[in-house]
Amino acid sequence: MLEMREVSKVYRTETVETHALRGFSLKVDEGEFVAVTGPSGSGKTTFLTIAGLLEDFTRGEYLLDHVNVHGMNDNQRSRLRNEKIGFVFQAFNLIPDLNVLDNVEVPLHYRHMSGGERRKRALAALERVGLSARLKHYPAELSGGQQQRVAIARALAGGPRLLLADEPTGNLDTAMARGVMELIEEIHREGATIIMVTHDPELAARAQRNVHIVDGMATGVSEEPRFHPGLRERTAGDVSLPRS
Amino acid sequence: MAIRPIIASLSRHRIAALLIVFEIALAFAIVSNAVFLIRERLQRMDIVSGVADHQLVQVQMAYIGNEPDAEARAQVDIAALRQIPGVRDVALINQLPFADRSSNGGIKLGPRQRWNTVHVAEYFGQNIISTLGLRLIAGRKFSPGEYLGFGAVVRALHSDNQKELPHIVIVTEALAERLWPGQPALGKTFYMGNGIQFRVIGVITNLLRPEVPSIGADYSILLPIRISLQQAAGYIIRCAPQDRERVLKAAVATLKRIDPNRVLLKHRTFEQIRHAYFQNDRAMAGILVGVIAALLLTTAFGIAGLASFWVQQRTRQIGVRRALGARRVDILRYFQTENFLLATAGIALGCAAAIGINVWLMAHYAVPRLPIIYLPIGAVTLWLLGQLAVLGPALRAARVAPTTAMRAA
Ligand SMILES: Nc1ncnc2c1ncn2[C@@H]1O[C@H](COP(=O)(O)OP(=O)(O)O)[C@@H](O)[C@H]1O
Ligand SMILES: [Mg+2]
Repeated sequence: MLEMREVSKVYRTETVETHALRGFSLKVDEGEFVAVTGPSGSGKTTFLTIAGLLEDFTRGEYLLDHVNVHGMNDNQRSRLRNEKIGFVFQAFNLIPDLNVLDNVEVPLHYRHMSGGERRKRALAALERVGLSARLKHYPAELSGGQQQRVAIARALAGGPRLLLADEPTGNLDTAMARGVMELIEEIHREGATIIMVTHDPELAARAQRNVHIVDGMATGVSEEPRFHPGLRERTAGDVSLPRS
Repeated sequence: MAIRPIIASLSRHRIAALLIVFEIALAFAIVSNAVFLIRERLQRMDIVSGVADHQLVQVQMAYIGNEPDAEARAQVDIAALRQIPGVRDVALINQLPFADRSSNGGIKLGPRQRWNTVHVAEYFGQNIISTLGLRLIAGRKFSPGEYLGFGAVVRALHSDNQKELPHIVIVTEALAERLWPGQPALGKTFYMGNGIQFRVIGVITNLLRPEVPSIGADYSILLPIRISLQQAAGYIIRCAPQDRERVLKAAVATLKRIDPNRVLLKHRTFEQIRHAYFQNDRAMAGILVGVIAALLLTTAFGIAGLASFWVQQRTRQIGVRRALGARRVDILRYFQTENFLLATAGIALGCAAAIGINVWLMAHYAVPRLPIIYLPIGAVTLWLLGQLAVLGPALRAARVAPTTAMRAA
């Protein structure tokens, strides 16, 4: 799905140069669920912004779906983001002036799609995260967990193959975090590739693979896929969607 | 660009949105009326005088007292003025369009009619048609033998001696059409003063009344009366446009040479007379232009200010939209569309207000109905103004980095 080879990212300000990534290499296969861990400031978010085509990198090579993305122009990147990548943020990042349904439709506005098709897809995505009953609510009227579910629905609406999540449960209490995590696992089971940054070792343990970043470099990559017992149980048979 | 979510988002910021809508509506209403008023003034200034505007100069002298030989002295002056190189014609005329004196009379169509049908300006003096450059389109000019002296006419009026009064007249086309619509005017008669009958012997195209009334500005007549300086608005001289300054100087020198004791009141070109007459209209148009400029500027700043605030307030959601696949141009269009919607609402409201203001002006001042064409003109102006004002903030919005979605706290 994606492959980074010796990717470096240097942030330059007038006074300092920060090497956020140094010779970072990582290969993620289609359908994998990778958790990214590491101390604060180690470069996890930087890795996600580059993986998600939100910014370019300084050196190295990055293939997304076997396509070299280095030097792509802004419009090409926007299009790839829109079609292939779903984002989930720690702070949810819903648009406060739009209701739940409109929020989920936002990414669909940036591709050629009829209003009816947009509506259909948004409703399906909301159904999937169990928020069909909250279409006309505004973000401020929802709990953190519900907001994050809407954000996930928004990420899913465009049918992305790659889901990038930066500490998706960082702003949630344990119960809500569990629900969101289960939802992400659900999406993974349905075929999406998932890269999730997390501070929580317990959540990281539920991914198939952990990548540990220290000082802008990938270390301690555990190559053995690890399955959480709970996940294995459910993959065995039950594929019903979670409901709220 | 889908409009519904933009409206949905605007409806969450109703007060700010309404303020801008009202500002645009107000600007639209006032600007369309003001532009209309300016055009009215400018059109007024373009009015056809009927005379050769660029070929006339005037030398006006103070009248000293009753001189028995006034007519003879005038003939000497005129003969001398004609000698000045470049002078085509000279006349003593009682009044001029736009000038500060006028002689008027009422016209009746029948001898026993009680009220006047119209009021007209009465022009007299010899040689008026060729000196002022009037265009005769029917009939003939007065022949030299048909002129009567001013003094004799006054005496005849006092003694009611019809024989010593003039009975032929030349009228403007507009007056003829007013008195005898659709009929040839030549040979027609009307009555003035104490039942004095006049017969039309000629028709000229235009000749404005000196005070340029808003109705019947072109209702003027020429009478075959000879005048001297006492009754005249000075010597009116016709020459080529490029000769005017030189001829004026030479005329003043000539008149001074003939009689050094004379006091010259004014010497000016007809263009200067006309220019002075429209002084107020120009000032008014200038003020209105200032009002329009100030209003448009204020509106533009209001729009740009609110747009800047909104862009700043929405920095994060712009970043999120970029992350979700919006191109820079999509962000730019978002703000442009939003502004277009606000402007459209303002314009719709402004149309109603513009018509309201116009109705009020019509009721309280002599302002005509606002032609419908000013509404689309105003609409386009405010749409463009809004797009121009929002462009800076919208471009700034388009430059918000997609990483803002991940980074901003
Ligand atoms: N836009 C930026 N300009 C300068 N330095 C930055 C910028 N973004 C991130 N950094 C720096 O890059 C390093 C890595 O940051 P980040 O990827 O956010 O780490 P993490 O997500 O692991 O906490 C940090 O030292 C951070 O201060
Ligand atoms: Mg981070």
